[in-house]
Amino acid sequence: MNRADQHTQQQIADLVEACMGYWELRGIALESSTEMQLELEQHLQQAVSDGKSLEAVLGPNPAAFAEAWAREMHPRFWRGGARVLHGLVYALSVVSTTALISQVLAHSPSFTFTVLAAYLLTGSGLLALLLQLGGFLSPRISTRAGREALMLAGVVLAVLVLRLARMKVNWSMALLSWNWPMTILLLALAVGLFSLDFWRTSHRERSSSATVSMPTLRSVTMFVASVAVFDVMMFVASVAVFDFCRLALRLV
Amino acid sequence: MDTRSTQLLKGTLDMCLLATIAQRPCYGYEMVQQLAHQGLDLVGEGSIYPLLSRLQLLGYIEGYLVASRDGPKRKYYRLLPTGAKQLEQWQAEWERFAQAVERILKGERSDEQSRPAHPTTDR
Repeated sequence: MNRADQHTQQQIADLVEACMGYWELRGIALESSTEMQLELEQHLQQAVSDGKSLEAVLGPNPAAFAEAWAREMHPRFWRGGARVLHGLVYALSVVSTTALISQVLAHSPSFTFTVLAAYLLTGSGLLALLLQLGGFLSPRISTRAGREALMLAGVVLAVLVLRLARMKVNWSMALLSWNWPMTILLLALAVGLFSLDFWRTSHRERSSSATVSMPTLRSVTMFVASVAVFDVMMFVASVAVFDFCRLALRLV
Repeated sequence: MDTRSTQLLKGTLDMCLLATIAQRPCYGYEMVQQLAHQGLDLVGEGSIYPLLSRLQLLGYIEGYLVASRDGPKRKYYRLLPTGAKQLEQWQAEWERFAQAVERILKGERSDEQSRPAHPTTDR
């Protein structure tokens, strides 16, 4: 495979991933969206090998294509809750483990959830979503680096606008504060919701012929590892981002 | 394809897809190729998929996965009895519509509406 082919394959992968993410957000059942993804990917591959452009398949607006297809799938409202449950499990796991580690390291019975922590948590969630949906820009901005640069420019612009609006944020302000029992409760809730989410996914995979189930140990390990990585990033970012934001706001 | 043709195709694409599937079960890209072979080039090929989902929800067609030797499974579509009946109905409607348009374009007049070509004013 030459460089141009690799580049096109990456574009196709990003577009398909963006569509899949969008359909999940729209509440399309996983077994249906997996089939839709499969059809779209195969169509794009075949079209490209026949010398057609991605735009010839998806039209000028890939997001409109994804929406048009989602509209015809008649999703049920509650199905959208799957994505919310998944996000809640992740957020709860990160917050509870961060609290636990902080309390253990600081030998302190209390943990304070600051504005900065809330900002980092929601910001990273939003960024992960935007990066995924950014695949819709693939026909126009073909490289992933280009799309990430565009998003970074958007963030910088937002900071500038906030600064010009003379908005001041007290990053260290405490939003919530709790002791050991609450941390344990949050941790137990995270484990409970994770089990529920995992049971729901594996139950659906068993009833669907389209999906391939991931072994239990592997999916649990992957989840724990991703939460651990996020925790480390939170610790690093809480120092680095705090200083960066303070410096940026001072300089502007 | 120009805008008028695109608009005309939009209103008839579901019928064309149903007719294509009626010939033999096929997958999405195959349908696009068959339509192109018959002279219908789609502006956005992907626009067939929302329509296929609609036809499937209406119970006119059925999708099924077929194992492929050189890759992942491929989704094929086949016609269901309800779809065959609907296609017959659509074909009859289309023939009536196309004949009416053709008559208008050729300037033919029906007997009830026969009148002088250049109406004169009353004096």
